[in-house]
Amino acid sequence: MILAVVLLALVVTAVAAPAIASRLGRNAGYPLAVAFLLIGALLATRAPDVLDGGTVSLNWEWMPSIGVSFHLHLDGLSLLFASLVLGVGALILAYCPRYLGTSEQHQRLYMLLTLFAMSMLGLVLARDLVLLFVFWELTTLASFLLIGGAGRTAVQPAARALVVTAGGGLALLAAAVLLSISAGTTNMSVIMADPSVVIESPLAPAIAVLLIIAAITKSAQLPFHFWLPDAMVAITPVSAYLHAATLVKGGIYLLMRFSPTFAHMTMWTVVLMVIGLTTMIVGAAFALKQHDLKSLLAYSTVSQLGFIIALIGVGTPGALAAAALHTFAHAMFKATLFMLAGIIDREAGSRDIRELGGLRRVMPVTATLTGLAATSMAGIPPFIGFISKEEAYSALLETPGPAWTGWLAALATVAGAGLTFAYGFRIFYGAFAGPTTQRKLYEPSMTFLLPAAIPAALGLVLGLTVGVLDPLISRTVEDTMLTESHAKLSLWHGFGSPLVLSALTIITGMALFFGRYPVDRALHRHRVPLTGADAFNHTVSGSIQLGSWIGLPARSHAIGAHIAWPLAALLVLGATGIAMRPDVAEPPLSTTRPHDWAVVALLAIAILALCLTTTRITAIVLLGAVGFLVGFWFLLAGAPDLALTQLLVEILTVVVAVLVLRRLPPTFRRIRRPRAILTAAIAVAAGTVAAAATFLLAGRRDRSAAADYLIHNAKKDSGGSNVVNTVLVDFRGLDTLGEVTVLAIAGIGLMALLRGTAEPNILPADSATAPPDRLGNMVIPRFAARVLVPMTVAISAYLLFRGHYEPGGGFIAALVAGVAVAVLQLPHGLDHPPRLRAPYLIYGGLALAVLTGIGGLADGSFLRPLHGHLGIGGAEISMTSSLSFDLGVFLIVLGMAVSAFDRLGRGTTGELPAREPELARNGQGGS
Amino acid sequence: MTAALVVGLLVAGGVYLVLQPGLIRVTLGFVLIGHALNSLLVAAGGMGFRAVSFIGTSHPDDAADPLPQAFALTAIVITFGVTVYLFGLARAGADDAPDEESES
Repeated sequence: MILAVVLLALVVTAVAAPAIASRLGRNAGYPLAVAFLLIGALLATRAPDVLDGGTVSLNWEWMPSIGVSFHLHLDGLSLLFASLVLGVGALILAYCPRYLGTSEQHQRLYMLLTLFAMSMLGLVLARDLVLLFVFWELTTLASFLLIGGAGRTAVQPAARALVVTAGGGLALLAAAVLLSISAGTTNMSVIMADPSVVIESPLAPAIAVLLIIAAITKSAQLPFHFWLPDAMVAITPVSAYLHAATLVKGGIYLLMRFSPTFAHMTMWTVVLMVIGLTTMIVGAAFALKQHDLKSLLAYSTVSQLGFIIALIGVGTPGALAAAALHTFAHAMFKATLFMLAGIIDREAGSRDIRELGGLRRVMPVTATLTGLAATSMAGIPPFIGFISKEEAYSALLETPGPAWTGWLAALATVAGAGLTFAYGFRIFYGAFAGPTTQRKLYEPSMTFLLPAAIPAALGLVLGLTVGVLDPLISRTVEDTMLTESHAKLSLWHGFGSPLVLSALTIITGMALFFGRYPVDRALHRHRVPLTGADAFNHTVSGSIQLGSWIGLPARSHAIGAHIAWPLAALLVLGATGIAMRPDVAEPPLSTTRPHDWAVVALLAIAILALCLTTTRITAIVLLGAVGFLVGFWFLLAGAPDLALTQLLVEILTVVVAVLVLRRLPPTFRRIRRPRAILTAAIAVAAGTVAAAATFLLAGRRDRSAAADYLIHNAKKDSGGSNVVNTVLVDFRGLDTLGEVTVLAIAGIGLMALLRGTAEPNILPADSATAPPDRLGNMVIPRFAARVLVPMTVAISAYLLFRGHYEPGGGFIAALVAGVAVAVLQLPHGLDHPPRLRAPYLIYGGLALAVLTGIGGLADGSFLRPLHGHLGIGGAEISMTSSLSFDLGVFLIVLGMAVSAFDRLGRGTTGELPAREPELARNGQGGS
Repeated sequence: MTAALVVGLLVAGGVYLVLQPGLIRVTLGFVLIGHALNSLLVAAGGMGFRAVSFIGTSHPDDAADPLPQAFALTAIVITFGVTVYLFGLARAGADDAPDEESES
């Protein structure tokens, strides 16, 4: 419970942080630091328990169906890292107020720092693989946002840091999945308890590699180290907290956590030691090359983390103890050095050690603190850094395997540590020794120095009294290795190999320091051929190019280019299916009648002509012909409703097409011969596949059970005798509602599409196609309209009402009414808006259909038709709510037709005054 | 057999037109493909049963399957809606105006 309270308290603090920061400005760091200390104290109340071998645990159900739980657990290892997160966090928050400026806003920074602390704490407490991954990613995101907060120059580094560490996060996710597959649970306690289950599974090497990838990306090891020096664009408190003390230790934590499972795997040991030691030496050499204090410290962090990872690779209790101690020591001296670098930057206005010099005279306290931290880093007694290095040497010498490996590792470490010594002194010497170049500087205030002074002093005090850390380190090792451990840390180990190695380190370091001019020249002579950031950028631009290459076929405005690919896929699929000779039944009745062939022949001619014609008006006529033939085909197939619908749609399509063609050139663009041949070949193939598929797969069975039911029961269930219509409005009303909604969208879309489009005035006014005297031409149609329109409307109404029993219904009636509108509209000049307003029809129709459906709820379900009888003057009329639903359908379809005439005829609304003169001009041009 | 030919002819013509430049031809092709699919729906009901499915008009054993017909009926009207929308797009300037060379 206490663990959840701690996390929740941090969340609450994070939520309150912006409010505190907007009230107190930069000084908000102080109350937040106090909050961190209080939360840390709360956690510390359980520390004695934990150190005695107890654990604090919390297990809430989270996703029980997949066995994932919100499982937190505090043991020695978690306690070590938690103390760093909260302790260093409090120091950094206390450091922020004097570091930050007074003019900017700091709400975001304080909130993100607190949220980061929460995520990091969650990471080290999580006891479920999924939870671990979630907190891991949260720390990555917090780091990204904190780096990116430094302004424009930080965009690229922040993105690089995100991609590298989030890539590692994916590796962690993969490792978590494989772990849970091999162990059968995501509960880390269960997985740790019996390492043999995982280690004996064939997935073990893959899991180990994925965990190592996750760890070395987070902890900035070669070859992924480059994001960390980049991340130094972030402000110094962020660098000190995330990129020195805590976030980058996430990888260390992960490796230590999984040590019980993998420590005895040779590959684990070899890989970690090789990567760790290489990174330690290369990182230290890079650090020695830097002039910028923060870059130097960043490479130093890379190097030190390599050192710790190599120790984890050794995998013995002694090595883990050294790793744990050095993690602690490193957090102390590196956070101090970062904070001091920030102070120097603020006071002297530069972080370049070539521009600094002799600051010891003007800033003696800062100089002393830097000296303390640098000495601890260099591994000189009696600092804690010396003890952790001694421990490390003795652990390395006992590396499992042949004796020479231990010596090789130890000597490599001596080289790395010698370089560390050298750059440690370089920091101090570069900034504080030599002639004083800036004499007007002052010591910063004690409040600025104090947060850096505490860890600097701790490095010395804990070095002298290192025994107090024994319980924590022992517990950490016990929890890490699951073996008994009795760490006996002491400053003086007696004479032995470790002491010799320490002496050797100091000698190497002194040599490198005093020979710094030749060393510098040697280091700067060799340029690195390819930096990590370059490699990253090449990878990014390469992947963008790859994507662009893959997307090439789709980058075209030609419709054919987009249709060709799915079409080709369909063709292959269809051809494969036919080639497999599906076993099909014989149709129950003969499917072909002699007069069918007449339709097929005419259709073939009409379609061929439609494909070959070069004038648009011929194409429209032929399209109408095809449509009529299809309508006739439906009639032959026993579907009079379909035939009627098809014929009416064909009429309206032709009207609409003519409206559009009016404004387009009379002929199509020529199709070039190669294109014609290629597309014809594709078309013939598609037609063949479609015909074969239809022949083989359609209608080869008895009539469906649904059909039999409908034919026998439609009258009884719905009162209607036109079965197709009863299907539309009674049995499958919801389908119909969906379909008319599509129509409504098409109609409204059309209204929106052509709103205010400019008249594409393609035709010259004196062109042969320009209409002759429109008024004189229109007398006969106008007169005809007077007769035809009332008749058509009457027919439409009749069709609507009888639809339930005879051919007709809402769709057909609306199309007839649409024809009436067209007849009315054509002679009136297309520049007049129709009297009917499409949106009202469409919305009204939709509302009516939906309301009718809701009425059906009275009988238990949406769209259930209600039946009733109405007696008028002795005559009994049966009524059904299907009619009002059909009326809704009618209105929507009519609305869509009206919108087509409205928009395609005029191309704009009358609401745009700018349009009117142009229309008038068009009219004059024609007359 | 004839139903398969009707579908095949309509698909061939539709595919040919859809692959041509210019939105008007594409629209025409789309209409043909719509016809093809509606014919396919009707064919799926079985071309052996061709009597109209009105109760009282024909013998129930010969009546055509009303379910695909209902699907096809709404499909015809939806095809009309999409056709009109495509014409609208052509009208709005997406078609091959003479001065504008579309990629192909």
